[in-house]
Amino acid sequence: MSDEFMVEVRNLVKVYPDGTPAVGGIDFGVPRGEVFGFLGPNGAGKTTTMKILATLLRKTSGSVSVSGYDIDADSRAVRQSIGFAMQEVGLDDLATGRNFLQFQGMLYGLHRPDARQKADELLEVAGLAHVADQLVGTYSGGMRRRIDLVGALVHDPDILFLDEPTVGLDPQSRIAMWEHLENLNAKGPTILLTTQAMEEADRLCHSINIFDQGQIVASGSPDALKAEVGGDVVQIALNGSGEGPDDSGKRAVEIIQQQRYVDGINRIRGGIAVTVRNGSAAVPPLVGLLHENRIPVASLSVARPTLDDVFLKYTGRTIRADEATAEALSGRMRPLMGLNRR
Amino acid sequence: MTVFREIRFIYMRNVRAWLGRPPLIISTLVPPVFMFLFFGAPLGGMTNIPGFPANDYNSYFTGMVIVLSVVMNGGDVALALLADIMSGYFDKLLLAPVNRFSILVGTLLVSGTRALLQVLVIVALALAMGVNIKGGLVGLVAIVVAASVLGIAIACIGLIIALRTRSAQLTQNVFMIFMPLAFLTTAFMPGEFLTGWFKLAVTLNPIDYVLVSVRTIIIEGWEWDSILPGLWVLCAITVIMLTAATWIYRRATA
Repeated sequence: MSDEFMVEVRNLVKVYPDGTPAVGGIDFGVPRGEVFGFLGPNGAGKTTTMKILATLLRKTSGSVSVSGYDIDADSRAVRQSIGFAMQEVGLDDLATGRNFLQFQGMLYGLHRPDARQKADELLEVAGLAHVADQLVGTYSGGMRRRIDLVGALVHDPDILFLDEPTVGLDPQSRIAMWEHLENLNAKGPTILLTTQAMEEADRLCHSINIFDQGQIVASGSPDALKAEVGGDVVQIALNGSGEGPDDSGKRAVEIIQQQRYVDGINRIRGGIAVTVRNGSAAVPPLVGLLHENRIPVASLSVARPTLDDVFLKYTGRTIRADEATAEALSGRMRPLMGLNRR
Repeated sequence: MTVFREIRFIYMRNVRAWLGRPPLIISTLVPPVFMFLFFGAPLGGMTNIPGFPANDYNSYFTGMVIVLSVVMNGGDVALALLADIMSGYFDKLLLAPVNRFSILVGTLLVSGTRALLQVLVIVALALAMGVNIKGGLVGLVAIVVAASVLGIAIACIGLIIALRTRSAQLTQNVFMIFMPLAFLTTAFMPGEFLTGWFKLAVTLNPIDYVLVSVRTIIIEGWEWDSILPGLWVLCAITVIMLTAATWIYRRATA
């Protein structure tokens, strides 16, 4: 292993047994101590990639090392060096919080008294000491997430894998979880996380890989990615934008993309998003142009680029608009939780 | 961590999960009681038929209660495994740096334990009803061991179905198909009384050989000629089922 990388992936390919391609030849390296994010919609290949790194899924081809160990030749050493908090929170509902953590510790080789002590320590960290002796099955959603997360920390892993750590949490718990993860990363472990939330990636990650249809379409620090999008984004909502011959959005794109000051243009729900160098200066000519062509403008806003715009630039879609279809797709690709690894 | 330590951990956890579901314990123990009541009593007159090998019907029937109980519960371990798969907890076990076969063995041993407990309850019931085990204390131990091994073999069938179908409902339904195996036997009357297709089916049914061994120990004692075929059959189905379950499990977790 080169010392700087905790994870090294070369030309990783995963095709499911039914022929569905999930990951199409990706490369990346995760530097020690970083928070490294996979950003993309459902079904983009993020979770599949993470499960391969964690030895839960077998890759089709390529080479992967985690903590310096080859995932095929040394899978047990890989498992000892990682902690994985999963999207489908895998908890033992019939155990108490304390028993669950203690058992996790023992599975990772701690002796009973040490495991017990570690469990108490982690219950404290997770703010669950007061429910330590209640069954995990009685915990609320936020509590389940927290105990799942600290359950991945019993053996002080070098790398922590987090699959959508805040999905389904209320805003307050989400912010608390972010703070928790920032504190955690400051103490040492490298963190690899997947997310669909731009805000989350922006706040937590040192570097981001944007996944789309099994490929990494862009990577870099949040700031660098945003800088790549170029200037500002002018979002214009149009009356009558939709399908059909009268589609004002389609006409607007045709007209505006010919302008010299326009760096890029995309369709978004209900209108268009125009990337320009100077947003404020571009508004008058844009509005004038649409007015001349009798395309009615409903509203307009100018924004500094966000990761949403980065995603839009590289995939031609907004991440949210993509979700409905992606949901259906991933439903097909992951027929059963976790175990589709034949 | 040694393999034995791993197996013990997984086993203890699964026993705890089993004990955490009281209805499951009840469903393990209640059916045998009802079988004695509902089959044993009405069929008691069979002992008057010339050639019936036992003096009291409960002695004859105890073997059947043991075998049927073990077969009936073979699916439960598979259902517990499915519950873990569905909740994602199974992945958590796979993520731990333990041998994956420790997880399989720790799971199967629970079904052996359940069979063992069941048999102890059934034997206690039978003794209370005046059944005399001719094979003595050694015979009792032999029956308990045989039933536990059969429990593991049957649990393998359940695991195979569960891992292939990945559905609790399908596992339960497919498992019902195996129920007739327990009835297509000399459960209610000895082989000499049977005729036609039923007799043929019983001859082909491996479960019956095991049943005959168990019953022989109870009503006749150590008659090796009647016991040995069942012993070989039990060894064979256990080896075959363990191999098949291991293979399916390896494919599912590789």
